[in-house]
Amino acid sequence: MSGRGAREARREERLRAEGEGARQERRKRLLQVASAAIFLAIVVVAVLIVISANESSGGDTNLEDVSLVARDLKGIPQSGLTLGDPKAKVTLYEFGDLKCPVCKAFSEEIVPSVIDSKVRSGEAKLEFKNFTIIDEESTPAGAAAIAAGEQGRGWNFIELFYRNQGLETQHYVDDAFLTEIARGAGVPDIAKWNQDRKSAATVAEVESTTKEAEDLGFTGTPSFAVEGPATKGKEPLGTPGEASLLEEAIEAAA
Amino acid sequence: MAMPQEGTLRTITTFVAAFGIGVATYIAIADSGGGAPACIAGGSGCQTVADSTYSHLLGANIAVFGIVGYVLLLVAALLRGDLARMAGFGVSLVGFGYSVYLTYLELFKIEAICQWCVASAILMTILFGANAIRMLIYVGRPA
Repeated sequence: MSGRGAREARREERLRAEGEGARQERRKRLLQVASAAIFLAIVVVAVLIVISANESSGGDTNLEDVSLVARDLKGIPQSGLTLGDPKAKVTLYEFGDLKCPVCKAFSEEIVPSVIDSKVRSGEAKLEFKNFTIIDEESTPAGAAAIAAGEQGRGWNFIELFYRNQGLETQHYVDDAFLTEIARGAGVPDIAKWNQDRKSAATVAEVESTTKEAEDLGFTGTPSFAVEGPATKGKEPLGTPGEASLLEEAIEAAA
Repeated sequence: MAMPQEGTLRTITTFVAAFGIGVATYIAIADSGGGAPACIAGGSGCQTVADSTYSHLLGANIAVFGIVGYVLLLVAALLRGDLARMAGFGVSLVGFGYSVYLTYLELFKIEAICQWCVASAILMTILFGANAIRMLIYVGRPA
């Protein structure tokens, strides 16, 4: 190889090495930017998760069956503690105590069938009335349900309370528990709900429906009554052990 | 081991992102009508997930965010160069991370599985893998 040829080869080699070095340097910088992007992506995902968790049940995620209750009641109109079409000819009344374990069992095993077959179709509406028989916590629980009903979430509150009910003998119905249920039930204005549930009028309503249950001759919860074109006022049904009995009573009252 | 060609990775991500747009659009349309995506072979998992409070973020169905993500990934797949490589990696990383979170919610919070959400999570995982390989191997190299 001539001297000139060798110089050319060395020059090409040097340029190639410089080009490779520049590429490596650029690649290193870009990978550093990618590391920053990874950090940013993690931050973005974390922010999305926090927003999602806060939007879901008002920041609480400890309750059981929030989505199940929302699904069961979706699309059914609510007014106060009445579930179903307000124009429905027949009304099925449930006199219950939110602390009552038998009411919880009815809420999970019998009432959903009646809601699906008679309430969702508009054939009957279902009204919950407080009948406080368990202990002194039954009244604030019932008042909290009425207050939730004033914001269109009464039945969500009742159903969610039952699904997160504590032991009958325990004292667990405090402000924190009730607020947790209200948030899980989707009560939009918690401040107003707090005001409403503690008002004398709301507590008086709980006492009034309890007296109404006693006047109907009920001694235990849940007790049911039906009222429709074919009945004379509220007709006591007692505590039917099967959904079909309640459905037949609704049909007879129509 | 032979490294995959960038063209192959871009082809894969183009098709997967396009498929993802289809899946997310179907979920969003089904939700906009007040319903839920139909679970193949029955089951109520899709309904349960759609009705859960986690199905919406900032007032919009999360499938809408999915559509936006898949469109960005499609654009990144179609374009050449480092910006496209980095953008594809960044967007797919966010999508993959959020898909992991959503799958956790389905399994442990909502306790129901929606097949369409699982499909989207799988697609996002493929996109993340392909975009990560594309970025790691080809960034800094000529397009």
